[in-house]
Amino acid sequence: MASTLDELTQLAARFDDEASRAAGDRAAVDALRVSWVGRKRGVLRPLMGRMKDLEPADRPAWGQGVNRLKTQVEERLAALDAELEERERAEAQAAAAVDVTLPGRRPSTGTLHPVTRVAREIEEIFLELGYSVAEGPEAESDYFNFEALNFPPDHPARDTQDTLFLEDGRLLRTHTSPVQIRTMLARAEPPIRVICPGRVYRNDNTLRHSPMFHQVEGLAIGEGLSLGDLKGTLEAFLKRLFGPSTEIRLRPSYFPFTEPSAEVDITCGPCTGSGCAVCSMTGWMEILGCGMVDPRVLAECGIDPDRYSGYAFGLGIDRVAMNRYNIPNIRLLFENDERLLRQVRR
Amino acid sequence: MLFSREWLADYVDLPDAEEVAGRLTDMGHAVDAVEPRGDDVVFDVDVTTNRPDCMCHHGLARELAVALGRELRTPNGTFNEALEAADEAAAIRVDDHADCPSFTATVIRGVRVGPSPEWLVERLDAVGVRTINNVVDVTNYVLWETGQPLHAYDLRRLVGAEDGPPLLRVRRAEDGETVVTLDGETRTLDPEILVIADDERAVGLAGVMGGTDTEVGPDTVDVVLEAAHFSRSLVRRCAGRFGLHTDASHRFERGADPLACTWAARRAAALIVELAGGQVLQGELQATDLDDAWPPQVELDLEKLCRFGGIELAAEQIEAILAGLGFGLERLDDDVIDGLGGASHTERWRVTVPSWRWYDFASAHAQDVYEEVLQAVGFDAIEATLPAIAGLDAIPSPAHRRRRLTQDALAATGLAEAINYAFLDRERDAAFPALIDREPLALANPLSDRYAVLRRSILAPLAVAADHNLRHGAPAVRLFEIGHVFAADDGDGTPPPVGVPNQRPIDGRGRTSAFDRPPGAEREALAVVLGGDVDTPWQRGGRDDASLDFFDLKGVLETLFDTLGAEVGWRPADVRRMVPGTGAELILRGGDIDERAMVIGVAGQLDEPDAAVALFGAEILLDALPTGERALETTAPSRFPGIEADTTLTHPLDVAYADIAREIDAADVPHLVSFELRDRYRGDGVPAGSVATTIGFRYAAEDRSLTQDEVNDAHQALSSRLEAHFASGEGDM
Repeated sequence: MASTLDELTQLAARFDDEASRAAGDRAAVDALRVSWVGRKRGVLRPLMGRMKDLEPADRPAWGQGVNRLKTQVEERLAALDAELEERERAEAQAAAAVDVTLPGRRPSTGTLHPVTRVAREIEEIFLELGYSVAEGPEAESDYFNFEALNFPPDHPARDTQDTLFLEDGRLLRTHTSPVQIRTMLARAEPPIRVICPGRVYRNDNTLRHSPMFHQVEGLAIGEGLSLGDLKGTLEAFLKRLFGPSTEIRLRPSYFPFTEPSAEVDITCGPCTGSGCAVCSMTGWMEILGCGMVDPRVLAECGIDPDRYSGYAFGLGIDRVAMNRYNIPNIRLLFENDERLLRQVRR
Repeated sequence: MLFSREWLADYVDLPDAEEVAGRLTDMGHAVDAVEPRGDDVVFDVDVTTNRPDCMCHHGLARELAVALGRELRTPNGTFNEALEAADEAAAIRVDDHADCPSFTATVIRGVRVGPSPEWLVERLDAVGVRTINNVVDVTNYVLWETGQPLHAYDLRRLVGAEDGPPLLRVRRAEDGETVVTLDGETRTLDPEILVIADDERAVGLAGVMGGTDTEVGPDTVDVVLEAAHFSRSLVRRCAGRFGLHTDASHRFERGADPLACTWAARRAAALIVELAGGQVLQGELQATDLDDAWPPQVELDLEKLCRFGGIELAAEQIEAILAGLGFGLERLDDDVIDGLGGASHTERWRVTVPSWRWYDFASAHAQDVYEEVLQAVGFDAIEATLPAIAGLDAIPSPAHRRRRLTQDALAATGLAEAINYAFLDRERDAAFPALIDREPLALANPLSDRYAVLRRSILAPLAVAADHNLRHGAPAVRLFEIGHVFAADDGDGTPPPVGVPNQRPIDGRGRTSAFDRPPGAEREALAVVLGGDVDTPWQRGGRDDASLDFFDLKGVLETLFDTLGAEVGWRPADVRRMVPGTGAELILRGGDIDERAMVIGVAGQLDEPDAAVALFGAEILLDALPTGERALETTAPSRFPGIEADTTLTHPLDVAYADIAREIDAADVPHLVSFELRDRYRGDGVPAGSVATTIGFRYAAEDRSLTQDEVNDAHQALSSRLEAHFASGEGDM
């Protein structure tokens, strides 16, 4: 009997020896498993079956020995597996390591034009204030661009020096005010609150100007609208666009389609009003023109000027965009160089 | 326009120059510069075109007097008259008072023409006027003082009618008549031109410039001084015709004071006598017939004014301002009967407009007077409020929404938005595909030949922008632009211009003429151009080729069409400026636009042999596309796993994928949820002239897991059907 049990001891020693050699090698550990506990030819498989050949008194000791060996083998195999998995995980992790300082792969997204960005911002402010957006043609008749807006026949703006005319007798609109006229003519009754963004044209191709640029104009008509309402609306708008600390001032001016008319200045952004090169040391920057709609314009559009009053205002989008994105020359806005356009991400 | 502080101070006591400049700017007369000039200070004032009454020192002083609450002084115009009557020494005649409502002539005998005194030379110099001699200088001085243009003639050079004294006559010129103006130019005239003439010939252009024949020179002894009011439009026409812009025409064109002739002439006569000696003959010659509409009057209501301004003002304050500005004021009954029969108390006036503002108050409205008062009060005094309009305006603009969706969709696909000028040269415009098939709309006064016509296609300027980027070393270009395209009007069936709201039917108010002309063709369009290598190998993450091609362009547009809910078909076509075999027409199907399919765009590879990379471009009529307002319907994905199956079909190159796709749709295979192109392969194993197209199919059922078996049969049948229809001949396999 003792020699029989010795056989188990020898097997245990042999397994230990083989296991030590297989450690750390996935193929060897798999082979070790097959050769010891494999379903068909595993070394341990027949051992328990030999019990029936033993004396009944020897059987318990044999059984216990076989079970001990079996437990030893299984535990060792599990340990080898765990060791392997640990190593494989470490290897995989080592392989996943990256140089986090390499540049990221950015998804290829595009950009909106700086003028579009600013126009949208302005539109959003006025949409919140309850205005609608109205649009119209760029090739306009004299009637909508000048006559209905109370431009006297000799106004310099009607000159070929200032306005681009078309061969069919029309012209390229010099402001988006014709859309205001179209809106008033199209609506049956006030109240009206619209803004009119769009491209406009002037016969001016000097260094600081572009023959095409962009405007947003606004129009509100209702009963009892006052100059104070105009001032308050512009203050609300300009503080939203340029920041809450922005101050505004209205200087009387003249436009044919409003009376009284005013130029509106805001405190200069770069120097916050203390005076710098941008504002020619005045602390103020001219930003828009505005006024109370001239009663002749209202009457021309079929709106009773004795019952309704209203205000209008207009500003150039391009200058605001140039300011905001630090673009020194208006021509750069229309050169369409992607190196510039793709910087404007918000 | 230049003003001397010292000169202004003749009429009103002034604070220091800085405060004067501030006051003027606050009143709407923006001071652009303040320049010291010896003891004096010169202001450069931007007098707006609607205020010719402020284009003289006395007029601007009037504004300052109101702003400062001080008295306005009037210049001295008194002199001793001679016994000799003016009407014996000279005669005047105005042919038509519509051309010249007022004409006065003052005769001064025995002047000694010579240099002006230093103070006069200084003052004229301060406002940029050159000294000539004492008599002429006085006429210029009084113009800059009162705003009334004057002209002095040498009496002895004027020819009178037979037996009559020398004549000054206001008449239309005869065809072909000439006059040599003071600048030495010979002007050829016609009846459109108003002239001053003597009995024989024209001696000056009325309201614009005098003539050399009758000018006052060193040997002049007797002078006739003209002060007149001429028709604005005639002066404008004459100044425009001859390109003459003078101090006189500048004021007449904008509107002069029709009652200033008399006092300005007296003032000038007094100064001439003072500086050049001589005697003013008794009784100036005058021919005046003013417009019946003068003087304009307006009713002013205190309450309405205050409501309009958003400010509380006292009646006395308003009276002080208006009286200071020269308005006549007549108080009306305080009690107004309202509509309910009750009486309410408000201050009201009948306001009479002063003669120097008549030009500005034609068909006067109370708001014209509000402006006067509020400007004088100053806008700083107005409290900022928000308007009390209930609710939102909130009229949706579908075009605006469509444009926003388009911009966002295209930017999301990697394109950068561009903006080009709307005009370009004729040749380039003609070279690109125009979606409006009409002649181009040309500019009458283009900036240059490079900007001769309005664009019919956005692709034309966008291709220039692409070229600009490539020339500056860009490896790729990806641009889009949204804007208007234009074409000449052919007079019928013109589509409406962009964004025009539905016009209210034009009533009998005489406004129809403005709408008579069809508005020409103007549409909103979109163009895309792309090409080149987008990314570095690092950016591409190891994938090989990233040259943008036709299908990148098409993918961008398909993304857009999905966003807007447009169903667009593509068919091969020959397109101008596109490489043959790459052109496509885009056809809009269904929708609410039109029952018929319509071509709404073109696409293809641009034929730009000089470009460093292959460029692909598309032009689309954006305003033909739906506005993305129809609700998007989604379907919940099946909760049961689906089955994927591929089919590879080797077929001749000329089989269109659209035909294969149509065949798949036609087969109506049960449980087929979707299919997509997986790959196109040409090379080893694929015969020349053929291509292997691999399509992936996805099968799924709503209510259960499909078994492989039930899919296999259907898929096999579909594959066989496609093989039978499209596969290359057996001999090729």
